[in-house]
Amino acid sequence: MEEYLNKGIKDVISRFPKVADILNEYNIGCVPCSVGSCLLKDIVQIHNLSSEDEEALMTKIAKVIYPDRGIKMPKIQRKTQPKSREIKYSPPIKKLVDEHALIKKWLVLIPAVINDLNIETEDGRKLIYDGVYFIRSYADKFHHAKEEDILFKYFDENLDIIKSMHEDHETGRGHVKAIIEALERKDKKALIEHLNGYKELLMGHIKKEDDILYPWMDRGLSLQQVGELFSKFNEAEEKIGKEVVERCERFVKGAEEKLLKKQKEEEKT
Amino acid sequence: MNTFEGCPGSKMQDLRKKEETKGDESGKRESQLGQWPIQLHLVSPMAPYYQKRDVLLSADCVAYTVGDFHKDYLKGKSIAIACPKLDEGQDVYVEKIKSLIDDAKINTLTVMTMQVPCCAGLVAIARQALESAKRKIPIKSIVVSLQGDILSEDWV
Repeated sequence: MEEYLNKGIKDVISRFPKVADILNEYNIGCVPCSVGSCLLKDIVQIHNLSSEDEEALMTKIAKVIYPDRGIKMPKIQRKTQPKSREIKYSPPIKKLVDEHALIKKWLVLIPAVINDLNIETEDGRKLIYDGVYFIRSYADKFHHAKEEDILFKYFDENLDIIKSMHEDHETGRGHVKAIIEALERKDKKALIEHLNGYKELLMGHIKKEDDILYPWMDRGLSLQQVGELFSKFNEAEEKIGKEVVERCERFVKGAEEKLLKKQKEEEKT
Repeated sequence: MNTFEGCPGSKMQDLRKKEETKGDESGKRESQLGQWPIQLHLVSPMAPYYQKRDVLLSADCVAYTVGDFHKDYLKGKSIAIACPKLDEGQDVYVEKIKSLIDDAKINTLTVMTMQVPCCAGLVAIARQALESAKRKIPIKSIVVSLQGDILSEDWV
């Protein structure tokens, strides 16, 4: 049984596809993960399952792997014990979650942006360029840089869960580059494809971080590290400049008002 | 046995255990206190043991209530103690905590209080100091029951 606990989850799922359904049952979204090399034994710890859920999950998986034998999965040794399923973020992690809220406000506007897309006019192109400025300055240079240059350094960056986050950031940068290129070529189809691609990627990425990665990280951070992170995040905020953050906040608010107003007008007619 | 009604902070309660606790009494624990003085009126925020440290602001009664106070809460931290119910000059407390945040540049502040309502005043003092300080730091509030259990542990 130890053999499977030390296997990457993608390997386990490809040999035993029913394991995917069991994981989904416990809201463990390994199936669509782009990396999938987290070890089966690490998944329990990362997802902070209760002892009862852990036992039930492991029994179900053992039955799939050894249907004819009454083998029980050994209990996973955890570095930290689950306190409760309620998520309480530490102050530095809360800052990142709050930044996600602003990024999501822009992401949910993307379908309306696409619906209203007019790359022939200056105004139409400006909205996309401003959106890209927001993504590059706020989501990437400010938010993702805080993760990559500060937060992730407190953990083993060879862990698959962190590699997977780095990979999402890179894929996101690829979409943004493609958005600009499509806009310059006036290629509406490619532009829509990459705007949607970015939205889908980031929505999933944010959910993984808010629900899984951050709570797992918070459980592993000492009080001293929480204080250090808070202070380093404050320095990062000062470094990028208040005016850049405020400009990004203004952009989202303005885009929301403009697109929602348009939507209401269309509904009336 | 509950003779005093009214203020829960001074209501008489008999917490003696009916049976002797069977804890491990062997060995000797070392004190984790790394400074003197500790009373908030007496400490100086400029003292070296506060600089950039994780600081514990504890209500007076907490250390008598939590069995493993030194091992679990004092270890690795500098401390200041106060009573938000009985101490005078609490505006000085606000200024001192503000100075710990701005001048001593403490890393974090953990406020430990008893569950009795008047003890929440210490968290209010810490919050007021943080609001008036230029720097921002994480503040954690830990509330202890009269039996010494941890009732809650939350970021302020």
